[in-house]
Amino acid sequence: MVSSRPTLFTTEAIVLRHSDIGEADRLLWLLTPQRGVIRATARGARKPASKLGGHIDLLYYVKLSIREGRELHGVSQADTIDAFRAVRTDIGRLSRGLYMAELAQRVSVEDAPAPAVFHLLVKSLQWLTNTENADTLVRWFALRLLTVTGFKPEFGACAECGDQLDPGDHVFSAERGGLICPRCRSQGSDVLQPANLSTIKVLRHLARSDFPMVSALNIGSEERRQTERILRSHTNTVVDRGVRSSAFLDEVRDWPDDGPVPGGMRADF
Amino acid sequence: MNSNSTPSAAPPVARLIEAFNRLPGVGPKSAQRLTYYMIRMPREEAEALSEALISVKDRIVLCTKCLNITEDPICPVCNSERRDRSRICVVEEPLDVLAIERTRAYDGLYHVLHGSISPVNGIGAEQLKIRELLDRLRDESVTELILATNPNLEGEATSMYLQRLISPLGIKVTRLARGLSSGADLEYADEMTLANALQGRSEIPDNGAPPTN
Repeated sequence: MVSSRPTLFTTEAIVLRHSDIGEADRLLWLLTPQRGVIRATARGARKPASKLGGHIDLLYYVKLSIREGRELHGVSQADTIDAFRAVRTDIGRLSRGLYMAELAQRVSVEDAPAPAVFHLLVKSLQWLTNTENADTLVRWFALRLLTVTGFKPEFGACAECGDQLDPGDHVFSAERGGLICPRCRSQGSDVLQPANLSTIKVLRHLARSDFPMVSALNIGSEERRQTERILRSHTNTVVDRGVRSSAFLDEVRDWPDDGPVPGGMRADF
Repeated sequence: MNSNSTPSAAPPVARLIEAFNRLPGVGPKSAQRLTYYMIRMPREEAEALSEALISVKDRIVLCTKCLNITEDPICPVCNSERRDRSRICVVEEPLDVLAIERTRAYDGLYHVLHGSISPVNGIGAEQLKIRELLDRLRDESVTELILATNPNLEGEATSMYLQRLISPLGIKVTRLARGLSSGADLEYADEMTLANALQGRSEIPDNGAPPTN
């Protein structure tokens, strides 16, 4: 006889995305260590007195009891492990946290274990609460995420012919997945990003070191620009159709801590 | 039209099921139930419903000042001489105006953003009615802007964004208090809500009256 009783499981999760459904329910996209991205409904979560509502906002790190469903699971209990308060109350940190969360979602597969992605995102959000170098954290996160999901770009040898790269300036091809040596440069019609020697050193350092080792890295403006373009182009090639939250990140990235903000939406009187 | 979901339904019935299915919160089963309810509905009721739908599309416009949904170019709130014109309460959706009006505790004006900043869904400040708000602040003698966005991450992001844009202009920017809701149990409150409630605590007056800020 097949039991009709729903199976309950407990898991840690990060809330990556949500949308409103029904009268007062919420549909959640959750990143979990054992099941990767899962979708679950939280019934009544939009009501003010809901016991779930306060624990399942975006970027919450939570412990959940979940009823297994055929198409959608259902959240039955939620407890907050960390709300990353310092991230939610600072627009600059928030924009970076949302970018990292979206990136994690876009490279993850539904219902497939993703412990490395999960722990990477938790650790990165914890660092984001107090780092002075949030942009380096985002670049480190993107590179580490690509590495643990099998999309690591090649920085040691030519991505086309496999030969070791001579020290010097090179170019990066997102389509071919890495740096390209001078001999292979003209072989494709793909977009090539310049990568000078210092940029290549920065990329290799980011790829092999843990964040605390690179957090104090002082990167020159040209190297910062090149690193950003290389990682963005590679990420966009992997996730397809680009990362939506990058527009918000780009808009608030250079806002000062206080005072008037630069940009098109500025309120000039 | 998705004929797979209603293989045996007559084309007009399938069309109505499909139309209901496009509404927010209405799944395929509910769409079928609503459709078969309407088939049994008296003709006059069906006509009244269809007339109501068409008149919403024909007669409803956005108020040219606050962008709330209204029948006239300027809504009754913006038109009223009794409202305090020095305060604007910024809300995400027209329904939020109704919620605040029900409290009878606010007599200022409104501004409806028609959404909130949601980077994950690709919705930025440009898609909201923020430029219109800045135009109002330029033209009207507003001294206080009350941010009444939802107390979730997107609402907070929108509030932070507006606060950063508007504070340097010398206009007082406030937001609704955060904390425990009436009837809630403390043991189930999340840490953000409790921390906000502690931060926004207020002294109880000697006469036992509700505290005011």
